[in-house]
Amino acid sequence: MNLDAVPLLTTRSICKSFGGVKALKDVSVEVRRAEVLGIIGPNGSGKTSLVNLMSGHLRPDTGEVQFLGKVTTGLKPHALAERGLTRTYQAVRVFGSLTVDQCLDTASLMRLSHGDRLVDRQEILEWLELDLLKKKVSASLTLFEQRRLELAMRLMLKPKLMLLDEPVGGLSSQEVARMIVVLRQLRSRCGILIIEHTMHVIRELADRVVVLIAGEKVADGAPSAVLQDSRVIDEYLGSAHA
Amino acid sequence: MTKAHSNILGGIVCCSLVALPFALQSNKFLAFILGMVLINMIWACGMNVLYGFVGLMPLMYAGIAGIAAYGMIHLTRAEGWSFWVAMPVASLCAAIVGVLLGLPSLRLKGFYFTLCSLVIQTAMTLVFSYFPKYTNGDTGINQISPPTLNGKELNGAMFEVVLVLFALAAVGSVAFIMSRPLGKRFIAVREDEVLAEAVGIDVVRTKVLAFFLVSLYAGVGGCLYAVYVGFVSPRAFDILSSLAIWLIVAFGGRGSIAGPIVGTLVLAPLPYLLQEVPWAKDIILGVLIVGVILWFPGGIYGSLFKGRGVRAAVRKGDADRMVDQRV
Repeated sequence: MNLDAVPLLTTRSICKSFGGVKALKDVSVEVRRAEVLGIIGPNGSGKTSLVNLMSGHLRPDTGEVQFLGKVTTGLKPHALAERGLTRTYQAVRVFGSLTVDQCLDTASLMRLSHGDRLVDRQEILEWLELDLLKKKVSASLTLFEQRRLELAMRLMLKPKLMLLDEPVGGLSSQEVARMIVVLRQLRSRCGILIIEHTMHVIRELADRVVVLIAGEKVADGAPSAVLQDSRVIDEYLGSAHA
Repeated sequence: MTKAHSNILGGIVCCSLVALPFALQSNKFLAFILGMVLINMIWACGMNVLYGFVGLMPLMYAGIAGIAAYGMIHLTRAEGWSFWVAMPVASLCAAIVGVLLGLPSLRLKGFYFTLCSLVIQTAMTLVFSYFPKYTNGDTGINQISPPTLNGKELNGAMFEVVLVLFALAAVGSVAFIMSRPLGKRFIAVREDEVLAEAVGIDVVRTKVLAFFLVSLYAGVGGCLYAVYVGFVSPRAFDILSSLAIWLIVAFGGRGSIAGPIVGTLVLAPLPYLLQEVPWAKDIILGVLIVGVILWFPGGIYGSLFKGRGVRAAVRKGDADRMVDQRV
């Protein structure tokens, strides 16, 4: 099997209910290599549930998840991290009372599989402009610095795919612009799936967009095409965007 | 202080600790207090790993110590085992029980686990009382013979020297664990379980390991307590004992190696020194607790020597963030 032809991540007709609420109905999504996939949708449309299913935080009721061509449904998040699938969270999460350096030490505890090059921590810190903050306690960093620290911690794992849940949430407009630059450069380091509901960020970053509305996939394609789609406009964007 | 200096200092401290029992030989009362301080230090070291580094408050700690103590007594009395074999075996069994009793922590967070452990501890005390086959119920077991070393029964200063060695081993082993990747995993679980999973840390495995290790400290301490005091009853391993050990750690400074040592040195001798004035003990203890909560919320050691820089940085960070939000 030619590994390069296999998509990074696929979900096959995934369904998930919470009690009587159907959060996801028969969703099939594919994250291909060397592309940034964006997932958009209104609040409660199932975006975060979908990522939780991909990253092992939830188990689907039916359907399966495959990572690098192998079924990973039911694997725990740490096991998926070992295989190269990692994620960030909507609310920023850092090891608050540890310094930046200690956070990265902790993220480096996982033994990388044999043959992987060592991670060049200094280079990553300089790229994310964290090299002067190494000795600072991470709870004392600004939100933008913490968001970059989150990325740095994930990069210690040499991930193949990173799932980003609203990576610009809470940032000021100047910071959003800078984060978009960072995320564009992140492409050369790993595959990216990004959840957002600000259209601006998706338009800037995503090669392909999946639209979820009320737990159903209603569109899948290039951003320009998807944003013209009549159903997407009616149910999500509203006519002002068109 | 350079590394060589601290090594020399550590050596001096260790030697003087070993010499201390001989200095106190003439005063049996002070020697006994020293012994109890050392046993409490072993317990506090274990409690600190779970409460200070992993971030869980196990109130069934004394119960686990009790299981090891009763197990050891049974093995030495009924089976005729040597204390030095019975203690590790009983402690290992207690550690396995500790892992099972720790399983609720995989689901229950923070305070809810503490509540659950309180119930477990209460149930264990009842089991010790109402199933007297191994425990002799509320009457307790007396005349527990001390362990033998070189064919002679341990007593006097030699017993305290053995306790000094165990206490040093307990402190040293915690320092060692915390310098290893396992220690970093413990802290990661305390800081943020979800994030720890995301960076590849097996949280379930880490917690199970923590309960195993910590129960070993409880068990070894329990066995030493039984042979040192010579008498055990369910009251020795009840919720108050758990709370006393927890208090030592919280008082001294959790999450540091030295904190529990400071806490033990201050709190463990109190009940014995104030034996003649029982009412004063609770008042002094109460005042000390309130004082620590008000002025040293990170514990005595944690607040005075360790956390200062951290908290200042956090405060500054909060200010930064407020400025940020205004922009």
